[in-house]
Amino acid sequence: MTPATPAEVFGEIDARTAEVGERLRALSARRPAARAFARSLLRDHERQQADREKLRKRLGLPPAAPVRTPTADAGSLSALRASQQALVSAHVEGLPVLGDPPAVDRLAHHLVALARHLTVIDLWLEAEEAHG
Amino acid sequence: MADPVGRRGFMVRLAAAAGVAAPVMGFLEGRVSALPKGEETDLAVLYASLAIEHQAIALYDLGLRRKLFPAGLRSYAVEFRGDHLGHRDTQIAIAEERGGRPPEARSDYEFGPLGSADRLLRQAAEIERAAQEAYTALVSQIRSRDYLLSAAFILVDEVRHLTVWRRVLGLQIY
Repeated sequence: MTPATPAEVFGEIDARTAEVGERLRALSARRPAARAFARSLLRDHERQQADREKLRKRLGLPPAAPVRTPTADAGSLSALRASQQALVSAHVEGLPVLGDPPAVDRLAHHLVALARHLTVIDLWLEAEEAHG
Repeated sequence: MADPVGRRGFMVRLAAAAGVAAPVMGFLEGRVSALPKGEETDLAVLYASLAIEHQAIALYDLGLRRKLFPAGLRSYAVEFRGDHLGHRDTQIAIAEERGGRPPEARSDYEFGPLGSADRLLRQAAEIERAAQEAYTALVSQIRSRDYLLSAAFILVDEVRHLTVWRRVLGLQIY
């Protein structure tokens, strides 16, 4: 569902971020080689969450509510890819809804980081497919 | 401005060489903090973006025509060229819909010596970085929702291109 208000944009991004975070933690537990990658992305999530809280204040929105993240197949790389794509899409579809240039600018910078994460996951999947 | 001119230097030089309009150049160089909201600004941003798309297409065309991309990377070059063609066509359609006259590609792009795959890949990465930085900088200045959405989709592609080339060049990607 496409968000219609800034509050919905932030709510959707929070939910998708929590989902990706859950999958990163599960992947990290299952595959030690993924730990550095997961740590780096989770640090980015923390910074982005802090930025969103500032933007919420700026836009007069209530702070983020706790998010439940029921995630099936938590340690799967392809499931992580799908969740990461959903997080990127939440930003893309949210930007036109914000109506506030500084907020658009900040979330555009977040989008750059998240699209980069998505590409790294894609490259990882490609490498796994190539090696059977 | 969050990004000093020095860090954006290549993007600024590329935009200037591509004939990007003065108000947008002022914004990209950090001389003005915002552009006036309006149809004219949207068109100026469109033209600036188009100029960079034209340049990227020209580089991929050249590299593919001269078979400079290593065999294992050729499919990426073809994919990315296709993305840039799509971005170009989308933005030309948006500009024409608004009565604009989008700039055409130049006939003379100067890429310097591209005799090796490494040089070509570094040049491709630089152009993709310029595109990523330009879209990131300009997206908050877009007024209309449909163009802002298109620009956000394009930005995701530009990030993918740059990340792939950085990985190929052995540079940090996360």
